[in-house]
Amino acid sequence: MNPLRFTRRNLLRGSLAATAAFPLLEARKVQGQTGAPTRLVVMSTPNGTRNALFWPTGSGANITLNTFCKSLEPYKSKLTFLKGITLNPQLQNGSLGGNLGSEHARGTGGMLTGRPLNAGTDFISFGNTTSGWGSGQSIDQYLVDKLMPQTAFPSFQVGVHVRDTQVRARIAYKASNQPIPPREDPKDVFNALFGGMTGGGMMGGGATDPALARLWAQRKSVFDLTLAESDRLKKLVGSDDRVKLQAHQDAMRDVETRLVGMVTTGDPDGNPTPATGSCMVPTIGNTDLKVDDQYAQAGQMQMDMAAAALACDMTRILTFQWSYSESEHLFQFLNNIQGNHHAISHDFASSGTNYDAYNAIQTWYAQQFAYFLGKLDSYQEGDGTLLDNCIVLWATEIGESTQHDLTQMPYVFAGSAGGKIKPAGVIDYTASGGKKKDNNQMLVSMAHAMGDESLTTFGDPSGQTGPLTGLT
Amino acid sequence: MRRTWAVLKSTVILSLLAGCSSDVGHDGSGANTGGSGNGANAGSSGSSGAVSNGGKGGTSGASGSSGNGTSGSSGSSGSSGSSGSSGSAGSNPVMSAPPDCKTDQVAHTALRRLTRFEYAQTVKDLLKVDPTPSDDIPADEVTSGYDNNSSVLTISSLHAEKYVLVSETLAKAAVQNLAAIDGCNTAMGEDACAKQFAQKFGRRAYRRPLTDAEVQNLMTAYTAGRTDGSYAEGIEVMIRAALQSPDFLFRLETTAPTNANATLVPLSQFELATRLSYLIWATGPDDALLDAAQAGSLGSKDAIAQKAREMLADPKAKLALANFFGQWSGTNRLSITTKNTTLFPSFTAAMQTAMEAEVPAFLDYVFSGDHSFKTLLTAPVAFVSGPLGQLYVPGSPMGGATPTKMDLPATQGRAGILTMAGFMSVQGHPDQTSPVLRGKFVRAMMLCDPPPPPPDDVNITLPTIDQGATARERFSKHESAGASCKGCHTLMDPIGLAFENFDAVGSFRTMDNGQPIDVTGEVTDSDDPALQGGFNGVAEMAQKLAASQTVSDCMATQWFRFASGRLELEQDSCSLGNIRRSFADSNGDLVELVVAMTQSDDFWYRAPLTP
Repeated sequence: MNPLRFTRRNLLRGSLAATAAFPLLEARKVQGQTGAPTRLVVMSTPNGTRNALFWPTGSGANITLNTFCKSLEPYKSKLTFLKGITLNPQLQNGSLGGNLGSEHARGTGGMLTGRPLNAGTDFISFGNTTSGWGSGQSIDQYLVDKLMPQTAFPSFQVGVHVRDTQVRARIAYKASNQPIPPREDPKDVFNALFGGMTGGGMMGGGATDPALARLWAQRKSVFDLTLAESDRLKKLVGSDDRVKLQAHQDAMRDVETRLVGMVTTGDPDGNPTPATGSCMVPTIGNTDLKVDDQYAQAGQMQMDMAAAALACDMTRILTFQWSYSESEHLFQFLNNIQGNHHAISHDFASSGTNYDAYNAIQTWYAQQFAYFLGKLDSYQEGDGTLLDNCIVLWATEIGESTQHDLTQMPYVFAGSAGGKIKPAGVIDYTASGGKKKDNNQMLVSMAHAMGDESLTTFGDPSGQTGPLTGLT
Repeated sequence: MRRTWAVLKSTVILSLLAGCSSDVGHDGSGANTGGSGNGANAGSSGSSGAVSNGGKGGTSGASGSSGNGTSGSSGSSGSSGSSGSSGSAGSNPVMSAPPDCKTDQVAHTALRRLTRFEYAQTVKDLLKVDPTPSDDIPADEVTSGYDNNSSVLTISSLHAEKYVLVSETLAKAAVQNLAAIDGCNTAMGEDACAKQFAQKFGRRAYRRPLTDAEVQNLMTAYTAGRTDGSYAEGIEVMIRAALQSPDFLFRLETTAPTNANATLVPLSQFELATRLSYLIWATGPDDALLDAAQAGSLGSKDAIAQKAREMLADPKAKLALANFFGQWSGTNRLSITTKNTTLFPSFTAAMQTAMEAEVPAFLDYVFSGDHSFKTLLTAPVAFVSGPLGQLYVPGSPMGGATPTKMDLPATQGRAGILTMAGFMSVQGHPDQTSPVLRGKFVRAMMLCDPPPPPPDDVNITLPTIDQGATARERFSKHESAGASCKGCHTLMDPIGLAFENFDAVGSFRTMDNGQPIDVTGEVTDSDDPALQGGFNGVAEMAQKLAASQTVSDCMATQWFRFASGRLELEQDSCSLGNIRRSFADSNGDLVELVVAMTQSDDFWYRAPLTP
């Protein structure tokens, strides 16, 4: 994939040539800010791991990467394997004395919320267990509210072959029962970020095209009408429905700025002045989203664009989701594996076809993560790279896959959040008889990395408080 | 593993009467609710009846108001956890059966956002355009099998973006053929025409007459397009404004009751018309239905029943019925279903298309025939197009684009929707059949008695699969894995294994890995006499299911969930009881089932506003 240097001519040559208007790249609001912003990125891959082949050997910064993670070698100095993190007691069990959702569901809904799923029978047919949707806000959305990043997209959700729309397919929540769907179509992501009409930050400035200016004005008029009508309706409905109307208004405000061309431009002539020296528009090809064999292609396009969105400061908070948890994705393209991922993940033989297949799939996912880190690391920002200015979490919904384990989560941090985090290779919280940390604490650490250092607890109160230790 | 009376006592009569125990509440406060309490911890004790009731109910706590909920930020409350609690009405599971059921209240349904499917049908009717651009709206979250559960249908930022962009595309297409939607002669004055359009189009879009202020708002949008533009552009912007309005996107029911203390709040005629239209047509009311509402002619249950029958006979009902059955059966997931291309080379894009086309074609056959539930479950026919005939009967000729009826050989033991290729494909894995998923479907969607969660202490890993064994042999491991697995799988496996004559794409087979397939089975843990005794294969099982009161009641429950956009609650005991009885009295007439929906209190009233 050859990233194009972003120029007006290249864009005109590209897939957008059919669109009428091409206002020029605007300066992002990051202009004038000293230093690059810190970004939060979460990448989730499904179906757990195999501890014996995942965790590095050695200690501290002096680690040797294990079988699954060899591909991360180039970024080893920027990684922290967080060993000894358990999901909090409520996520383990729930106060109902039963399992609120299968482990796959809980590990998904609780990954970024730190909360158990809602009680209910919404997912009676899911993993033989009962649960509702996620019961609270996820850390990414909390940080959107807290930090109010003035980017074209307050947050951005990307998916690859997620397809499913049940609780096992949603990691980001605006609030209880308000899951946020990811964008799964690379064309849609491209248009959102770089398309002229949708006003993704790249194209938002430069009111030089009268047709576009006119469209923006009309949109503004409609937004005003709609928001006012919602205000009127909020007085007529009950409190719970008011929450829904409010969510609609919040969502409209989230998108209004860029859709009406109000993302401010630092350059009245609309000349390109990217946030960083290397902000580029990636190219995308075609992919058939229904074909499992095209997983890698779709994923690579999405990763390229996700990295570009961060590099161009179009968003600072991004979640990236591969398939859904409990994924039955096929990997015939990889060593001609015939079984589905989830079935393979629960075969507890210690050798043989499925053993090899699972290892191959987990290794492949680590390679995708490595590719993404490589993308982030390829963007220079000041003395460092975009990756250095990120706090990246690589997560999956369960631990040891054959056990549906939730007590040894295979979480990895990458990047140093602009210096707020010191990558430590591996931190083993249970070394020397230490107590396990709860996943809430990891979420608190992520908030601290993003600059919300006053936060002490996040998610369900059953979890321990304070951030993880050893990261700063 | 039969359910004991001790358990039944706590879940009370309706679950007996109804066969659906999921109305049993669990208040989420941590307190146990009688015998149904303890959820999974009771699991290994063998009383799986109790387990299956655990942790259910109370869903609708749902509606976003739940304790833990709202913004979940750091220090937020939500003490001991959980969730769903506050709103959940089901904390006391005691329900009485009709006619002693509660007639003084109905359950609250959260504000319903149009689903993507409803949005598409609605704009197609409103604008006379191809609704394909609405595919850009994110797919709806699926809850309990249905994509219209009001508790979770909200508007995310991605939705908001798409509502803007999709409305622009649709409005642009609509004004290309303005005469189709706006008959006004602009010679009478553009502004007068625009105002007339605002009133007429607005009434359709908002499903009620507009106030002067609302007409004025649409005229503001018109002006934004007309100024420096054309009349058509003005109309175009007005259409966009209407399609982005919460009055369009949500099914608002804000008519205030004349009696402020009413526990049963009557709906306006327009609100009734809207409920009726989305139930039967999955689209907004047309002008005729709105006129009927305006004239006040929807004021009696008889009038509504008559209207419902007329609407069910209209071709527009086909898509809506297919939407329900496609969700109930899972066949709506065909578009996101993948299969291993080496093991199932027949599962091509053309095959998928043909499978998708079969569902509405078969439903049309059922509904234009005797509309009987039994036909749906037992008819040994297929509707084939493209390569699908070859899947059902190898050697068949290629079909055309339109599904045509094919009688299936009795030797295959086919049974209506239950052995439909598309159904078998979605109730399976990408690489193999799934007796668990198939058994679970029958349990959850036909008996309304989903399997219980696995107990906490169970090692959920299965022993290694012996290559070459049949599914039945592999599944016998559930037995040998100990009581903890056996308890739950006894509920599913003897049902699911009866489907083994049909592979993961629905092709008929008699051998699995070189071994003959045994399709004997039974429905365990049921007191329904119609379900007693074993069966050999799906066709025999289907006959039992079709004769079962439990299954009949469950079908009513499934439709109720879909119709009301939520799971059933304690306050629904009368509504649901009456619907079940009507369906049973009609000998399983699916048309009468839908009509019965419109006769319930739940359909006629709404709950007072949540304070």
